[in-house]
This record gives sequence, structure tokens and C-alpha cells, in this order.
Amino acid sequence: MSGRYDVAIVGAGVVGCAIARELSRYELRTILIEARSDLGDGVSKGNSAVLSTGADTPFGSLECKLVSRGHQRYVAEAPAMGLPIKAIGSLTVAWNNDERRIVEQLQAETVAAGFHDVVVVGADEIYRRAPHIAPGAVAAMWDPEEGIVDPFSTPYAYALDAVTNGVTFQDRSPVEKAERNGAGWHLHTPRGVVEAGIVINCGGLGAAKIEALGGFSDFVMKPRRGQFLVFDKSARTLLDVVLKPVPTPLYRGILMTPTIFGNILVGPTSEEIDDPDDWRVTQSGIDALLAAVRRLLPQLLDHEITATYCGIRPGTERPEYRIIPRPDERWLTVGGIRSTGLSGSLGIAEHVAGLVVGEMIGGRRKPSHTVVSVPSLAAGERPWLNGKAADPEHCEIMCHCEGITLGEIREAMASPLAPRSLKALKRRTRVMFGRCQGFFCGARVQALFERLSAERST
Amino acid sequence: MMPRDAEVVVVGAGPAGLTTAAALAERGVERVLVVDRDDEAGGLPRFCSHLGFGWEYTHRLETGPGLVRRLLRRLDSNAVTLLTRTSVLSVKPGPKVELVSGRHGHMHVEPRAVVLATGIRERPRSARLVPGKRPAQGILTTGQLQQMVARGVPVGGRRAVVVGTEHVAFSILLTARHAGLDVVAMVGAEDRIMSYAVAGLVARTMGVPIHLSSTVDDIQGADRVESVALRGPSGQRSIACDTVIFSGDFIPDAALMPGSGIAVAAATSGPSVDQYGCTSAPGIFAAGNVLRAVESSGLAAIEGARVGTNVAAYLEGLLAWPDVGTCIRLTEGLAYIVPQRWVPTNDSGYATRSLPISLRALADVPRARLRLIENGKEVWAGREMKVLRHRRLALPAAILDRLRGGDAALHLDPV
Repeated sequence: MSGRYDVAIVGAGVVGCAIARELSRYELRTILIEARSDLGDGVSKGNSAVLSTGADTPFGSLECKLVSRGHQRYVAEAPAMGLPIKAIGSLTVAWNNDERRIVEQLQAETVAAGFHDVVVVGADEIYRRAPHIAPGAVAAMWDPEEGIVDPFSTPYAYALDAVTNGVTFQDRSPVEKAERNGAGWHLHTPRGVVEAGIVINCGGLGAAKIEALGGFSDFVMKPRRGQFLVFDKSARTLLDVVLKPVPTPLYRGILMTPTIFGNILVGPTSEEIDDPDDWRVTQSGIDALLAAVRRLLPQLLDHEITATYCGIRPGTERPEYRIIPRPDERWLTVGGIRSTGLSGSLGIAEHVAGLVVGEMIGGRRKPSHTVVSVPSLAAGERPWLNGKAADPEHCEIMCHCEGITLGEIREAMASPLAPRSLKALKRRTRVMFGRCQGFFCGARVQALFERLSAERST
Repeated sequence: MMPRDAEVVVVGAGPAGLTTAAALAERGVERVLVVDRDDEAGGLPRFCSHLGFGWEYTHRLETGPGLVRRLLRRLDSNAVTLLTRTSVLSVKPGPKVELVSGRHGHMHVEPRAVVLATGIRERPRSARLVPGKRPAQGILTTGQLQQMVARGVPVGGRRAVVVGTEHVAFSILLTARHAGLDVVAMVGAEDRIMSYAVAGLVARTMGVPIHLSSTVDDIQGADRVESVALRGPSGQRSIACDTVIFSGDFIPDAALMPGSGIAVAAATSGPSVDQYGCTSAPGIFAAGNVLRAVESSGLAAIEGARVGTNVAAYLEGLLAWPDVGTCIRLTEGLAYIVPQRWVPTNDSGYATRSLPISLRALADVPRARLRLIENGKEVWAGREMKVLRHRRLALPAAILDRLRGGDAALHLDPV
């Protein structure tokens, strides 16, 4: 595939997809190109699924501004996209008097930075909100706005919106060479040459590599791995807030939170890694997470573990976003999105679109756009409860642990962004994401996936 | 019969569920609904084509599918309605059952009794906390591989490592061969195999090395598994393979228990039951491997048949819903006992049948003896025997009838 575009976005993670959606509101020919066979398959597939308000980012930074704006927009726009959000609030808990002093100071700074709802609460309030945590909490910072979201459906909803509103999506296209010409760039991929007026590098962990192809070297990647444990849904009653430790300047610590799907999530660890592809869960990581559980919420250990995974934060040598517009070079870098890409995505997208149309190539806003929504996969929201009880395919469950129906799989496979692999289907629908990890349904789902894929290609 | 007219709902159409339904029909219960969420009845045995299924119940050498066919033939279709592709979403006190299926949509049923026969599953790699990468392809449980082979889904690998040495790990050697997979190693955490000695001999005859006292330390691979690293007595070693099969490590499928009023037994993760199969929730019985992981399909079938008889007695008023009764305490060295509770018999018409006892030890003991003690007095003593932790310990159910409602404890005394 090849062609001429005004804008080429390189990298279909949550940030690239959000930018594609944002630019689809303008009279611009935009293409979103992705190296892998699915969107959201790199950094965006492994995070804590907590929507930060920005209150835990460095105050005064671009990151803080864009995450705050991203949070505000997500709360406003997610419902129309069908994306679930639950503002459960967070407790940053002090376990001794030293930590209490830090929490009090942190709260004062947080309020001063504009997060006016954040308060310090005492032990009574902590145990009212989180009755099952270990004894000994002395004080906490309560942020009522922090929420949990669906991290897999979010980039998908953005990309589906973008594609529906005119953006071209091209997967399996790692950029191998970038050539500057008078009007912009020629991006060489195994699936053809993409000509674009400007390039937006959203390469995530590969951002520095993409930069190098364009001849830029403003930063180096310092990837940090974060490991997680997902506990069985039977544990959901143990916790209904985001539980955080007192942060240090370098590490926000291991948090515990319910997920929007009804599990309890514990993580992340934080390890600097050399190989940006080292997606390993390690024994020491698992041990650190279990130790935190034993300390903070020991009853969780009575429940089964459903999954382990890790994410890799695309940090650079400086603890900040590396958003660099280069109007003369017709190149815009969106790098170093550290660990706040999901929370900041809509804020980053707005900021980047502002740079594109304001400083780089211009572009008129379209008078209207098509509203796109995706099916909700949040706990308790199943098709037979959401007006589809009369549709037989939406009442036949294929994945028993998560209650995912034949109808949902068919719909995912009929999407303009149909999954090309079983793992992509998992992210779209949650099949095989439950406690049995495919023991019961794996064979049936795979057979169905292969049949529907074959039908689609003929 | 429409589902909402059911007098009894049996959840799960594996061996235990099918024999429960057959026993209910034999006792004259006319509206029995058996639901199963899979596309066909039979439970896990229908994916196991080797011999040995149901022996204790049928006394015939049969394959898994063979056993299922036999059990299905015994069902009286006038009394029993079998609904597959039907999921039970919840069981609530009452009992109330919430179902969803393509055919009947979303509905609520209020039968007089419910029997949970939901069986077991294997713990996947994630629950076993095995470190390493998570390639999208090549990491399976035995159950998933058996289903893939039975359903003709390509496995797509050549070289497999099997983790676990329980019976099922050896049965998978045959399944793997059927799927075109060469098993290049078996790995067991224990210092001996958790199956019959002859199984190990068969594996070695097939040229499959068994690494004991060893664990998987790392998994490598991007899209598909490329290798595993083992840690064992002789240090670390890497084995090139494209498939890792996690076998055994079974756990009751207890998803329906939260919210049902059923007390869970910590030792088994299954429902706590008395000798009739009554859970702590009135009207809700349980049978088969959901009671514990794991016994043979034959024992599960026997349990189903007996619980079916007891449910019929309950419906006829011959079995009043029992109290909690006496919890049989286990002393050091014993892992679990099912049934966990014993109630003084209140069956005047000999209409009930006690569950067989399944009892396991935590560790191997060369010579030991079981003793049942009530209020400090020995009620029963077994013969000396060799205790293997992967085998059921023989304990006749009739000895529980000697209990008088005092403090009952079961001892395993090394000799």
C-alpha cells in the first residue's frame, strides 16, 4: 500500500490512535501506520488501567498539563465512545508518622497545583473506604477523581473512530527508511512507500529508532519494566479504591486497584532494562508484588491469580515528555510518554493537533464527524443485560470465565479493524482473558476465529 | 419441558451431572433439567480418547467418549431435558438459578433443588506464577490441547515440554503424538512422578526424559515459544521447544459459589458437603470433582448417582435438610476429606446413600494407619498401608455411621 498523505502518524499505540482520531476532525489526509499486526500491541498493552487526574505527575510540567486535560476529556468523551469509566478514587496511604508528614505536604502541594478535591483523611475514613487493608494506616491522601478504565478498548475505540472519519490505517508496516523530499517525507515500509507532508513519531519504545531514521537524536530510550499480578474476580469485594503507597521522587510504587473488568490488579514494579523487548515476568518481580500484597492486603492471597504480565514504560534519559515540533523539518516527535499515555492520550492528541494545524501545515476543522462507539466490556455489562437478550448469538457464551458471547466475537471480527490474531481478538473482546486462560474455551474460540478469518478473506 | 418448569436443575453434564440426572429419573423425578455450557454433553472425558474412564462405575474398559455415550444412553428422555450451550450465570439462595442461552435467552428458574456438578479445570501458567515471556502461541494446558486435538484445531508446534507428572501428564504424551507434537521433556517439581510407576516407564520407553525436582525458570519467545529454562538438581538447562503444556494442578471450578450461600472448604476450594452431598445452602447439592481436585471419572459418576438418589429423597420428604453436623477434623499429614461433614442419619426409609469418602495425604508415608477418634475414643482403625499423596486413601463410608455427633478427628499415624 502506498499513497500521498498530509500527515503520517508512525505508531498505533494509545497516543498514536488518539492523535489519529483528533486529526480526523480536520480536512487532512491522515495515515496511521503500525509496525505490528495490531494496534495497541506495544507499550499500550501493559499498564495499570488507572486513569490519572494528573495529580501524581510533576506539577508545572507539560506532562501534568496534558494528563489533567486528558483526564478531563476522557471523562467527558468516553461515555459516547462506549468506553467504561468508574471514578473509584484513590488513597495514598501513610503507614507511619514520617509518611504522614510526606502525605500532608504532598496534599498541600497537590491542592496548590490546582487539584482542589484532594484531601487528607484519617484512619477512620481509610478503613471505611478500604475495610480489608492491613491494620496500621495512619493517614492518607484521598483523590476522589481517580478512576479505572478499559486499556484495551481505548486505543481500539480511538482508531475505529479515526478510520470511520477518514483516516487510513496500515498495519504490518515497520518504517525501514525515511527520506526527506521537498514536500515532506517518503516513509519506506515492507508494504510500500508512504508519502507524507509531515511525520508524527509516536513510536513508543521504538521512538528513538524512528527519530534516527529522520536524522534526529535528541534523546535516548531508557525503558523501565513494570510487572503486574491480576487476581481472580472472586477477590473484587476486598477493594473498591485505588490503593497507593507514598511515592518517592523516582517511583510511584506498587498500587492495588480493582479493574474495570472486576479483577484486582497489583503492580507495577519498576526495573530499568537494556533490551526494550524484554517482556519478561521475573521471579524477583513476582516476589516483590506478593510481598506488597502480604503487607497491605493479605486476604488477597486467599484468591487465585488469573494473570501475570508486564508493561514497558517508554522513558528517556529525562523524566518528561519529549514532544518536539520541528516545523521546518516537517517532523513532530511525540516521545518519552513514560507511564501516562493512557491517561494523557486525549490531552496529548489535542496538544499535538494544535501544533500540526497551528504551526506546521494548517488544516480546517470539518463541520461534523461520525460518532463511533465500541461495546462495553466492563464488569456486569453483558449483551443480554444491554438490550440484546432477544439475539441468540448474544446469549450464547463462548468464553465462560468472562461471559463473552458468540455475538461479540462475530462483531469484533466484522469490524473495519478486525483482529488478525487470536491475541488481538482477546484484546478486542476479552475472550480467554479469564481465570482459565483458555482451558475451557481456547480450542472452540480458536476454531471460530480461524473460520471467521477465512470467511472474511474470501 | 420449559426450563422454568424444572423441579431440579443439574449444573454440568459431565459424568457426575449425567449420573445425577439418571438417578433422579429412576427415582421418579419427572422434570430434571441438565444444563451444560459447552456445545455437547459429557464434560472433560469426551476429549480423552484413551481407555480407563468410568471403571469404578461401569466396570467396563472404555474411552472418555465411550463412557459419555453410555451415560447418555441411560438418561430417560421423558424425565430429563438436556440443554447444552447454556450457561448458568448465578446460583442464589432459594435456590434460584440464572441462565442464559441462545435458544432461551436470559432467564431465572426457581427449582426445588440444584445440583452443582461443574467439575474442574487446570491452573494455567499464570496462576502457577511461572516466570518468563508470554508468547501468544505455544503455551497451553492439557485440557486445551486435548480439546484442540478432539476438535481438529491445529496445534501448530513440533516440540513440546510437558510440565507436571500427574496421570494426565502421561495421557498427554499420547495426545501430543496424535497432534504431531514430539514431547522432548517432562518436568516435575516433586522428587518422583505423581502417577503410577508404569507411567514413568512408558514415558522412558517413548524416549521422553523426565526432569524431577525441577521447575520452569524462564520461557523465551516472541510470537511463539522458543525455549524454556529448567532449574533442577544439576543446575539450569535450556530446552528448545515451541510448545509448553502445563498439566495437572487441578482446581474445582467454583465460580458459582460466591453469592450462592454455599460455604467453601478451604482445603479443597470446593463446596463443603455432608455425606448426602448437601452443601450449606438449603436445596443445593454438589457432586463430582467440583468437590475436590481430582478423582477419577468413575468416582465422580458414583457420587452423581448417590447424590441423585439423595435429591430424590429430599424432594419426597424422606430427607429433611440436614444441619451443619459434625466437621471431621483432619490431623497432621492429611490434605482433605470429602465429605467434610457428617450428620446423624435422619433417613427413616433407607432412601439415601452416603457419598464414598475421598481422602488424601499431604506427603508420602512408607507405612501408616488411619484412625477415627470421637471424643478421645477410637471408633475405627484401618490396616497398615503405604501412603502416596497422589492416591486416594481407602476409608469405608460406613464407618462414619459409627459417629454419634461428638468431636470427630481422623488421624494418620506413621507406623
